[in-house]
Amino acid sequence: MRMNRCRSSSKRERQSWLQNGINYWRHRIRGYELALCTDAWNPRLRTGALYRHFSRLYTGYDVLRKVSFKLPEVVRRSLWTIIAVMPLLARAFDLLVLGGGSGGLACARRAAELGARTALIERGPLGGTCVNVGCVPKKVMYNTAMHADFIHNHTDYGFTVSNVDFSWRKIKERRDAYIKRLNGIYQSNLEKDKIEIIPGSASFSDGSKPTVEVNGQQYTASHIVIATGGRPDVPTETEIPGADFGITSDGFFNLEDLPRQAVVVGAGYIAVELAGIFNHLGCKTSLVIRYDEVLRKFDSMISSNCTTELESDGVALLKRSQVCNVSRNSSGRLVVTVVRGNAADHILSDVDCLVWAIGRKPNCQDLNMSKLGISLDSTGHICTDEYQNTNHSGIYALGDVCGKALLTPVAIAAGRKLANRLFGGEANAKLDYKNIPTVVFSHPPIATIGLTEGEAEAKYGQNIKVYRSTFTPLYYAVTEHKRKCVMKLVCANANEQVVGLHMQGMGCDEILQGFAVAIQMGATKANFDATLAIHPTSAEELVTLR
Amino acid sequence: MARLVRPFRSRWYHRFSEKYEYDLLVIGGGSGGLACAKEAAQYGKRVAVMDYVKPSPQGSVWGLGGTCVNVGCVPKKLMHHAALLGAGVRDARSYGWDLPAEATVDWSTLASKLRDHVRSLNWGHRVQLQDKHVKYFNLRGSFLDKHSIRGVSSTKEVLLLAENVVLAVGLRPKFPENVPGAVEHGITSDDIFWLQKSPGKSLVVGGGYVALETAGFLRGLGLDTTLMVRSCCLRGFDQEMATLVSTSLREEGVKFLSGCRPQRVQRSQEGRLQVTWQRRQNVSEEEQKDEWDEKEGQEDFDTVMWAVGRQPVTKDLQLEKAGVQTEATTGKVLVGLHDETSCPGVYAIGDVAEGRPELTPVAIKAGRLLAQRLFAGSTTLMDYTNVPTTVFTPLELGSVGLTEEKAVTLLSPDLIEVYHAYYKPLEYSVPNRNSNQCYIKVVCEREGKQRILGIHFLGPNAGEVTQGFALALRCGASYSDLKSTCGIHPTCAEELIKLQITKRSGKDPTVTGC
Repeated sequence: MRMNRCRSSSKRERQSWLQNGINYWRHRIRGYELALCTDAWNPRLRTGALYRHFSRLYTGYDVLRKVSFKLPEVVRRSLWTIIAVMPLLARAFDLLVLGGGSGGLACARRAAELGARTALIERGPLGGTCVNVGCVPKKVMYNTAMHADFIHNHTDYGFTVSNVDFSWRKIKERRDAYIKRLNGIYQSNLEKDKIEIIPGSASFSDGSKPTVEVNGQQYTASHIVIATGGRPDVPTETEIPGADFGITSDGFFNLEDLPRQAVVVGAGYIAVELAGIFNHLGCKTSLVIRYDEVLRKFDSMISSNCTTELESDGVALLKRSQVCNVSRNSSGRLVVTVVRGNAADHILSDVDCLVWAIGRKPNCQDLNMSKLGISLDSTGHICTDEYQNTNHSGIYALGDVCGKALLTPVAIAAGRKLANRLFGGEANAKLDYKNIPTVVFSHPPIATIGLTEGEAEAKYGQNIKVYRSTFTPLYYAVTEHKRKCVMKLVCANANEQVVGLHMQGMGCDEILQGFAVAIQMGATKANFDATLAIHPTSAEELVTLR
Repeated sequence: MARLVRPFRSRWYHRFSEKYEYDLLVIGGGSGGLACAKEAAQYGKRVAVMDYVKPSPQGSVWGLGGTCVNVGCVPKKLMHHAALLGAGVRDARSYGWDLPAEATVDWSTLASKLRDHVRSLNWGHRVQLQDKHVKYFNLRGSFLDKHSIRGVSSTKEVLLLAENVVLAVGLRPKFPENVPGAVEHGITSDDIFWLQKSPGKSLVVGGGYVALETAGFLRGLGLDTTLMVRSCCLRGFDQEMATLVSTSLREEGVKFLSGCRPQRVQRSQEGRLQVTWQRRQNVSEEEQKDEWDEKEGQEDFDTVMWAVGRQPVTKDLQLEKAGVQTEATTGKVLVGLHDETSCPGVYAIGDVAEGRPELTPVAIKAGRLLAQRLFAGSTTLMDYTNVPTTVFTPLELGSVGLTEEKAVTLLSPDLIEVYHAYYKPLEYSVPNRNSNQCYIKVVCEREGKQRILGIHFLGPNAGEVTQGFALALRCGASYSDLKSTCGIHPTCAEELIKLQITKRSGKDPTVTGC
């Protein structure tokens, strides 16, 4: 059937199949010999679009062009046929991963290590949110902003610094170069593990087995993992007129220049981090929040302390406020109108950059999942059980697309566990979603794990004991501007098991990890007390709480 | 009325009706002594602290608080922060900040800020003692017998009778013997933080953490720094880590004179210090024989700092009058499990006690526990195992538990498994800083759940990273516990829980990607 269609098709169609075929073989064959020898052999290809395509793909082409060996006509013809026809048949794998982000990559690599024939479909650069528009570039910008703090403290520490200029372009260039390097590392990691990378968008299609189609080619596998992640949510034009003038965290990383005035909307950690970066780099920053405090899902000590820190750093906090209108003024800058409870509307004019950081939504609309009847929850996230199974057998979902603990290491761990379960014979491998440590790169950074005081109260009632500490880290001993460090340990039951740890202060980002290991193990306050301190650090405060 | 009279009466009651004026007298107002005194005072005991700082040969003196506050941890960590800021200037340029290539520090500004902070801490300690009703004597103590201590200063003399005496006099830096001019021209860690002007071109002699830290911060502050080491660096630490630390110092620009010993220090005509040294013959790992080249090396420095060890200064204490025995070679006070000395009623804690780790938190905890045993009926002993510590060289080394060498000798090479990784901190990526020394090593048992025996972490913020892992080790963590903990992305600490390459597998331990 398919062969017939092939014969009767137009030249253009044949070309596109050929291109598909070449793409296909490019992934299939390591060393490029086949593709290149056919290419070198065919004079038509040397001048046409395919030639350009090839020379983009194969950097070593110029060298190989010199190897213009001739093949017998029969061999040539059959090669062409194989190249063009093979992709029309659905290709089968043991594991097909949709999405080359942290979770998908981890799952694919672990499965390949365990011997599964694995392919990974990704439409953008490898690495997903974390590497391209999340953790990594965010931390780079956070580090950049930290230097602003350091520069302030230089004089206090006896260094002579005159007024310092900052160039956003320079750091963006370096950041992009670094991310590009990371993309390359991921690519070569996958190649090393013999995982096929299929560039393009996937959608489920018909088939006796679950089948995925990418650029017209069908793929099937005994196990398909959906790890397509999420993307920032934006209000629609009907909800807020002019909403499209705003950007999201994705757009933040595309900014070519530091805005003079920025408005960030949202009270979650992304809003807090972005506002902190803008503000530290010298941009006049307003943060629009719906209630009185940021990070309302965090422990109350954290939300109130972070709110205070933002305000004392000079971020204009618009509390109990919502953006109701965005427009562009004659000079091309934005005018953002904010409603504030009962008070009069607040108008922010001459805004260069409006960032929506109001939440994230899953990337699964284009997957055509209704074809398989995979069930979604009310917010559009894929429903899974604790083993990452969806309601369709052989199809799994993990990472941000499930909407639970949207964190890179969580997705990585879930991906590895799933691969271990499917191919490593660990029938009960699953991720424990309890005690997941998180860090917010605010100024100063926030680190938390376990239950908040409120949650612990709800769970254990009066049976909790809370230890607190507030101090100024030694670093600030000689500086004019001091940032305090706050810490809270939530203990439950008579043995004072530590069920929550919350802190904000210099170095807390690095402090938490080891404590997370201990808390995961069920450490009690007595264990904390029995641990000797490391002097002088901020972390020692946690083992000397009284 | 009764309420007014009671305290008055009780004070008189105590003064005359009991044999001893004080329940506890602590000699030495350092971290350990103060912690012990304050804890005892909490139980309503009559406590006194006697503290006296004998000026260093260069004339440096300081206030209450001991080594840690005045000439140890606190000023050195601040210097470390300053040095990191200096290095940060270079990074900041690649982060888009328009800064000069090299920032210069004004030593006198830094040192005066640092002294101000130290003085505020001295004052804080005084206030705390007062608040807790601990009597403070700025006097030099000496035993008359085991319960009576004489305190003297140039203007004052008192006699105190105490039921219990705690020795917490700490240690002072050593000067090398047989090096002419050492005491006259050299300084020690007692003086470096109290210098009025920049030390200039400096030579630091020693291979311990004091020497390495000092060389590190001097270099970080932009000074021409040379480190002279006789044999190995950081004895007692994991030697692989120690080598990496010295390599990282070298890469920071510290010059090394390895396998060298100083011969003499003279003042040259230009007023600089001319240091002469000898080099060891055949400096190979195995045969560290005491054979030295005849040929001498010579160089001029502005400052020479000795960091060749620390020793107790107990001569003035007249320990023999109380019958307190000391170790012959180290001169430290011999102690038992309960911190008791050879003389009943006299205890020793902190650096001065023989065989104890010389660390502030150890002294503090030992002091508190001792007070609890003496006055609160506690029986808890100090556990000296798994003591975490950090060397604050520019690249910090955090360490807790057994070193690989120790694990190999205690168990056997077949019973241990070493997980390791070379990682690149994200903050180093953009400025493309050298991260060749950022290394992690976890020593575990090989069988079963793979209980962790030691953790060694070399990298930025090692001090902060190590603390939590010290707790995990205290909880008996195993390698599987590390594996089952979720990472925190992107941090350096998460590299520790991501470890998966064993040393004996021979695989490349360099971390790539997430």
